[in-house]
Amino acid sequence: MPSPIALTSPPRQDSIFKKRSPSYLTAMRSAQSYLIALSEADARARVRDSASVTSTPALSLSSSATTLSEDTVLNDTPYDNSDGLAYPTVPPTSEHIVSADHLQFGFCPNENYRYKSAHKPGTKLEVHEQDPPYYIFLTTYMSYLLLICMGHIRDFFGKRFYPALFRHLLPFDGYAPLNSDFDSFYTRRFKTRIDDCFSAPVTGVPGRTINLLDRESKDYYHTFSLTGTTTRALNISSYNYLGFAQAQGGCADAVEECLRRYGVSTCGARLEGGTSELHVTGEALVASFLGQEDALISSMGFATNSTIIPALLSRGSLLISDEYNHASIRFGARLSGANVRTFKHNNMKSLESLLREVISQGQPKTHRPWKTILLVVEGLYSMEGTLVDLPTILELKKKYKFNLFVDEAHSIGALGPHGRGVADYFGVNPRSIDILMGTFTKSFGAAGGYVAGSKALIDRLRLRGHGGTYAESIAPPVMVQILASMASIMGVALPTSSAVEVAQQHPGPAHPSQLPAWMDLPPTLRDGSEGRMRLRRLAFNSRYLSRGLAKLGFITFGHTDSPIVPLVLFNLGKMCVFHRMMRARKTPIVVVVVSYPATPLVTSRVRFCVSASHTKEDIDTILRACDEIGDVLDLKLLPGERWPLERIMNNAAELVNTDD
Amino acid sequence: MSSTIDGSASAALGLLFAFLSYALIQAESVFYKIPGSYVIDRYIKSHQNDRGRTVLEILLALFAIRILLQVQSRTRSDKGEKDFIHFSEKEVDKLVDEWTPEPLGAPLSPEEQSDLASVCVVSGANGPRPKLANTGKQVLNLASYNFTGLAGNEVIKVRAIETLRKYGVGCCGAPGHYGTTDVHVDLERDIADFLGTETSILNSQGFSTIPSVISAFAKRGDIIVADRGSNFAIQKGLQISRSTVRWFDHNDLKSLEDVLLSVEKDRQRRREPLTRRFIVTEGIFEKDGAIVDLPKLIELKHKYKYRLILDESISFGSVGRTGRGLTELYNIPATQIDMIVGSVANGLNSSGGFCAGSRVIVDHQRCNGTSFVFSAAIPALLAASASEGINILRNTPSILSTLQENVRAIRAVLDRVAAITIPSHAASPIIHIHLHSAATLSAPTSASVKPPDPAIPASRNAPSFDIAGEERLLQDIVDEALAQGVWITRARRLRGQELVEARPSIRLAVTAAMSRKECERAAGVIKAGIVKVLTKRK
Repeated sequence: MPSPIALTSPPRQDSIFKKRSPSYLTAMRSAQSYLIALSEADARARVRDSASVTSTPALSLSSSATTLSEDTVLNDTPYDNSDGLAYPTVPPTSEHIVSADHLQFGFCPNENYRYKSAHKPGTKLEVHEQDPPYYIFLTTYMSYLLLICMGHIRDFFGKRFYPALFRHLLPFDGYAPLNSDFDSFYTRRFKTRIDDCFSAPVTGVPGRTINLLDRESKDYYHTFSLTGTTTRALNISSYNYLGFAQAQGGCADAVEECLRRYGVSTCGARLEGGTSELHVTGEALVASFLGQEDALISSMGFATNSTIIPALLSRGSLLISDEYNHASIRFGARLSGANVRTFKHNNMKSLESLLREVISQGQPKTHRPWKTILLVVEGLYSMEGTLVDLPTILELKKKYKFNLFVDEAHSIGALGPHGRGVADYFGVNPRSIDILMGTFTKSFGAAGGYVAGSKALIDRLRLRGHGGTYAESIAPPVMVQILASMASIMGVALPTSSAVEVAQQHPGPAHPSQLPAWMDLPPTLRDGSEGRMRLRRLAFNSRYLSRGLAKLGFITFGHTDSPIVPLVLFNLGKMCVFHRMMRARKTPIVVVVVSYPATPLVTSRVRFCVSASHTKEDIDTILRACDEIGDVLDLKLLPGERWPLERIMNNAAELVNTDD
Repeated sequence: MSSTIDGSASAALGLLFAFLSYALIQAESVFYKIPGSYVIDRYIKSHQNDRGRTVLEILLALFAIRILLQVQSRTRSDKGEKDFIHFSEKEVDKLVDEWTPEPLGAPLSPEEQSDLASVCVVSGANGPRPKLANTGKQVLNLASYNFTGLAGNEVIKVRAIETLRKYGVGCCGAPGHYGTTDVHVDLERDIADFLGTETSILNSQGFSTIPSVISAFAKRGDIIVADRGSNFAIQKGLQISRSTVRWFDHNDLKSLEDVLLSVEKDRQRRREPLTRRFIVTEGIFEKDGAIVDLPKLIELKHKYKYRLILDESISFGSVGRTGRGLTELYNIPATQIDMIVGSVANGLNSSGGFCAGSRVIVDHQRCNGTSFVFSAAIPALLAASASEGINILRNTPSILSTLQENVRAIRAVLDRVAAITIPSHAASPIIHIHLHSAATLSAPTSASVKPPDPAIPASRNAPSFDIAGEERLLQDIVDEALAQGVWITRARRLRGQELVEARPSIRLAVTAAMSRKECERAAGVIKAGIVKVLTKRK
């Protein structure tokens, strides 16, 4: 039902503030000069032998990679650079060789823009949560109230004047409605009004940039139709932490070779007819990546939790869960039949008092002791950007003897000096955690998930987990993407005879025998230099964005080392305006906006997912956009010292490297 | 003396009374100045001559206060519950010290170890004739799901590589957050076109699809009527939905009708409002290969006004003239079924699952299907491979007729083996083999003919089997066949986690990629294995 009140916003609406083109755009060299510089660099690389790699560690180059840059850079029709995304702002000199498509993985040779992701021992893990002024809360509640009232008024008149549109919400022909009007009220009257901000179809690689398929709606977002054009936008939304979402490079080459050798599918469940040698290889590599005895891989990240947790617990067990744990954990907990208790998000006092209560009280009614207590936490919370307080939890674990399950869906690969997740970040022994779970969707640019732990436990899960018996096993190309990207983070090296023990130690490089014999990774992936560069770039970008936003006066959640940076908008209405204004800029930026029910009612937010593929200049672009939009939308609510944008951009390295 | 005292006292009292009455008048006027005070006044006055009501209202107020206090304590902790025991800090410390949890994963028993060790590992590509890493030999494959022989198809490989070079591997996001590419949209449209439904929705794992579909629609208080032989994924969907579940006998539509009637009678007797009602069953049952009588099922569904959720995880891409599944087999428009759930992994040799239906059904899942909303989208190259698979099935109907010939060839051999029973339908591409002569501990007693209670998943007279013993024998047959170069598998089960323990069986998955000769040879090997193992036992 088209409503006369609803405001429509064309996708490419002009922003209401004066568009200042960023200064660097005018200063930028032409695409032509960039091409010349690049081809010179390529020529030099072909002449030089592999020893030259050490002289330019900035970009981890390889001669095999030059064929890739030919595709994109020496193309007959160079990219249209009107949005400033196609070419680096600082063009490469003859010292550099571009090894990746700038649109998928940004060119950022400056060694100052690197950082090591690690917890400083002795410092406390603190989050400074700032409340906004009261009028913000007041207007937020009022906007909800207004929307609820309007929604009910529209329902009231709609049901009387347009009954056909409400038929699916009312009993009809002896069938109860699939979805009652009460249950779907939020979807119909809130989400539909801003549906242009969700589920935008895309094409191509979700790398540094992403191509949006433009769409329009003539009925206030009830239906969309594609216009046939695309818009390239800076992508700060995909879970592409290490930038492995690439259609070219060593990983993609390995996947192509795998497709030729193995085909697409393994045709069945792991225990019946679908186990490939790749699974065996992959599980061994994942186990040594994590520093655990054994690992089990499943074909879907969500299903890893929802099918493994029921296999771990049964009646008489207790699952203690953080209140902000992911839906998949709650799904698995419900299927397990175990009792579930929750504690306040990341609040160790609340956890300890809960532990004392449940252990002393025992099972409900009978007061028998619990068979097992499993604490399930996430390494990095996807909506909050907070890191789990692992050191304190491990202290509690010693005292209260519970088992610990850490869901590293977001933290694996993205945190720690070696990318091995929260245990690496805090410098604790991964084997002090009973079960490590994580996904390959995010940092590894693949799909699926894993659980890792002791051999006995993992073997039991192979038999008792639902996936092994009934779900399809992970597809070979996906498995190989995991193998290649993981090996490039670890580096591949033969242990020298004297250092066998050292090599066995975690976190060390992978043994060549842990990869398929046919897999031929380029040298920069093999020696781990590119993996290190990715880790260090991600760590820099994460800190730069979250500190930059704070210096501009925005309220953000979470820890500064987190690659997830939630910027709090509070007002529901600001969500869609923020999204549309970001998308309508000269350099379009796509963002993810989330609100209730994924977040508490009053803290609607934008969630930035930083990637190693972003350059420092990309983060500048985002800060500039936020700065301008923040003024319009009254988002700069943080008290304390503020820096002007120029000062932030010029002192990025200093901003990142200072301690709290 | 006393009179003066009296006088002064009465004077003081008079003063006091005067003050009191003055204060009262003042208080009254202040009270009436408060807006709304007249309402309270009227309310209190209305209690005159109505003591019963006063008592009742005081009780109500006390009750409300009690409830409020209870709610508060409930959100805080279990303290305040009736059976909460108060301990001092020292006592808690002692209890914490005393508590020793059971280990999380006990080491595997020797049986479980051999169970795990019996899993075959494919070296290289899987297909009709893979090489196994365990033995290093090439075998004929009747274990893997490769009904239409799409595994290893060169056209699909080329399409997958093209997609890889344009989209990379992972989608790095949930479908709602830039994880939906045009390739996914195309596959959803292809599946819908192929089946003849309005639209469809893609999930990233076949197994996780149906729990998500069921729980998106069925909530607490809704009614689901399900088959007793439903697969594990359906069982989990029913559990997560928290709906009221009623069971009918496996693949027995007469029993279904009885249950539907009794549900309706129950509702009328209790005068309950109309709730959502669903029938959940499978096209080809994963547990035994039986095929449901779809026309009759649809007739019942319309008659009793239920919505039908049909799990075609096995039947999609394996029966019908071009592999469209049960609707094509029975020549029934797919729009007659409310939700068709299928597996892209089994049917199209890719990965993932789908739910096809009307636009209302699919759009609802885009907001409420748990495993759709909270999971990353399937890699684009897998979606593109599946689209190509549909294309191949559409254009080559001979694949499905070859598959049927192969099924007939194998059944022709196995049907004549006296020692086994095959519960599977003659057209089913999965063939389950039960041991006929195996020790059946208790046969169903035919004496009681009372219909089973629909609230209980197990049927009343279900025979029980010597599960461990049968599994051992079946594994011997599997090993025997493997030694002769035919790879088959026992149907693996999650013993102890299923609602009803399925009878142990060997599950063959027939493929169109084998020649008739190879099928006959494989069936011969299996037959010889059965005979050899069973005679040795005697």
